[in-house]
Amino acid sequence: MSNEVWVVADLKLDGSIRKVTFEALSEARRKLVGKIGGNLCGVLLGSGVSNLAPELGKYGAEKVYVVDNELLKDSNPDGYTKALADLIKKYEPYIVIAGNTNLAEDYLPRVAGRVQAGLTMDSIDLDLTDDNRLKIQRYSHSSKVISTQEFLDHKPMMTTVRPNSFKPEEDQKDPEIVNESVDFNSEDIWTNVVEIKAKKSDLPPLTEADRVVSGGRGLGSEENFKYIYELAEAFDAAPGATRAAVDAGYCPYDMQVGQTGKAVSPNLYVAVAISGAIQHFSGMGSSKVIVAINKDPDAPIFKKCDYGICGDLFELLPPLTDEVKKLLQD
Amino acid sequence: MKWVLNPYDEFAVEEALRTKEQFGGEVVLVTMGPARCREALRTGLAMGADSSVHIEDDNFAFSDNYVVGKIIANEIKNLGEYDLIFTGFKIIDDESVQVGIHIAEELGIPHVALVSKVVRIDPDQKRVTCQKEIDGGHVIVDVPMPALITCPDAMNEPRYASLPGIMKAKKKPLKEVLVDDINLEALGLSRESLGKDGARVKTTSIKVPQIERKLKVITGKDNPAVKGDEIIESTHELIKLLREEAKVV
Ligand SMILES: Cc1cc2nc3c(=O)[nH]c(=O)nc-3n(C[C@H](O)[C@H](O)[C@H](O)COP(=O)(O)OP(=O)(O)OC[C@H]3O[C@@H](n4cnc5c(N)ncnc54)[C@H](O)[C@@H]3O)c2cc1C
Ligand SMILES: Nc1ncnc2c1ncn2[C@@H]1O[C@H](COP(=O)(O)O)[C@@H](O)[C@H]1O
Repeated sequence: MSNEVWVVADLKLDGSIRKVTFEALSEARRKLVGKIGGNLCGVLLGSGVSNLAPELGKYGAEKVYVVDNELLKDSNPDGYTKALADLIKKYEPYIVIAGNTNLAEDYLPRVAGRVQAGLTMDSIDLDLTDDNRLKIQRYSHSSKVISTQEFLDHKPMMTTVRPNSFKPEEDQKDPEIVNESVDFNSEDIWTNVVEIKAKKSDLPPLTEADRVVSGGRGLGSEENFKYIYELAEAFDAAPGATRAAVDAGYCPYDMQVGQTGKAVSPNLYVAVAISGAIQHFSGMGSSKVIVAINKDPDAPIFKKCDYGICGDLFELLPPLTDEVKKLLQD
Repeated sequence: MKWVLNPYDEFAVEEALRTKEQFGGEVVLVTMGPARCREALRTGLAMGADSSVHIEDDNFAFSDNYVVGKIIANEIKNLGEYDLIFTGFKIIDDESVQVGIHIAEELGIPHVALVSKVVRIDPDQKRVTCQKEIDGGHVIVDVPMPALITCPDAMNEPRYASLPGIMKAKKKPLKEVLVDDINLEALGLSRESLGKDGARVKTTSIKVPQIERKLKVITGKDNPAVKGDEIIESTHELIKLLREEAKVV
């Protein structure tokens, strides 16, 4: 059993590393590695990923395990499961961390089952008990509570971390590279990827965005959602939506924020024509600053926001977008 | 309080019923939990499921997710042959977001997570094609059956239980399995590994998140609707606050 803390890199569809990976490396170094007297290691799984190791070194990885294999392209969960489970069995790390992405939600439970590890998802705090067991905090019950969970002394201890929960902080290292080849059998890969439809967007992904601008039912139509996209672009924010807006067909489900959508934790959350239902709050209530724009002075969201403007979105959004553009361009 | 079906599991039940309507077969509900889960099973039966299995776990609440996955997988094996298993994406109370996938791993079958649409089922080739959500887009995949599918919101519009459905549900089979009846050893489990004390991950405390909000609402003179120059003023005021007080732009 080693004392290594592993951070599995999360890659975007374009092959670059997600910010959450750097956040996880930074927090693991600050909170875990020193106390257990271990090493911080990165893990790169994918196809054509070997050249990314120095980027993990920049955030403190002293060693990087690399599995570079064709079968890991297109985020194939079966390939990821086999690769990570084999690595864990061989090197027996102490703790394994990844970002809480759709891919992690997809394959990490399988890995945990296969290597018989405990796993928690979407941690917002990482720590150790006095006897060096992993201790995390996470939201549950529709974000109404934060629970603290401790792992039994049974390694590895596995968790994913919520994007935007930890500060990325550089700590330049020149990592040792460990190239691993994994023997894939035909029965290891069930999933046949027929087609990938990447969203064409220069805007940041919803869960990682520093700012989010969301629209609700009050937008009234798919066409009107352009007001949301324009304001989001001006803020360099990701666009989001309520379930009511998604159900009405104004925008796709992957924009849904809330209990049955995505959980986001940006610095700035702008809620436009959103009443403030508990199920919506469960996905964005941990945002640092919440701004509400709503024409109803009694909208519940005004009781749960930092700043609000009571008025009509169609009158308020165009000048607001202009002002934000001007401000952020200087 | 009524013990309701987890909303994600409503999508799962709905999808199973639609699959049955298209291809025939049988929909069996399986759940593990305390006695009050039976109410949720009744709801699923009233929606149209054919039968249900309830694994009573009164003495083993807060078992590890993988333990729950193992026991449910074992019960599914006991039911005989199957083609598709639908589970919710997560449970909205504890939100461990993993039990479904543990079941697939235990059964040694493929899973497809976060399926927004079942595109095609090919009973002859025994393959299922799905559209699933991934970070930054979506993807079309196909996998051999039997397979397990996890269901997010927006997958479908779950039906309501009709009155005749509710009446019929009362007569549908509800099989009880006691954890004590399960041969744990054969599953690689021991009594000690069940319940809270055996869990590899244990909740030690909970707190209510406290985020203080400033609650500053800017309104125009003719509240509620802001008119004329006021608009510029109020948006200007907002930006000033965001920049100088909140320091987020
Ligand atoms: C099991 C379950 C899961 C759910 N999951 C989610 C979830 O994940 N995410 C989610 O968001 N919801 C979820 N909901 C739904 C939730 O309960 C609310 O129905 C939903 O969030 C309401 O969306 P809304 O605020 O856009 O619409 P509404 O509540 O209809 O509010 C619209 C608001 O727009 C304002 N408005 C209208 N016109 C204008 C205008 N011209 N200018 C300014 N303001 C205007 C109105 O004053 C109103 O406050 C869930 C519900 C259930 C039961
Ligand atoms: N005790 C259980 N009995 C039956 N199904 C369960 C149980 N726990 C979890 N599941 C299924 O697994 C999904 C994910 O649950 P969770 O991992 O607890 O968030 C749920 O939506 C259910 O479909």
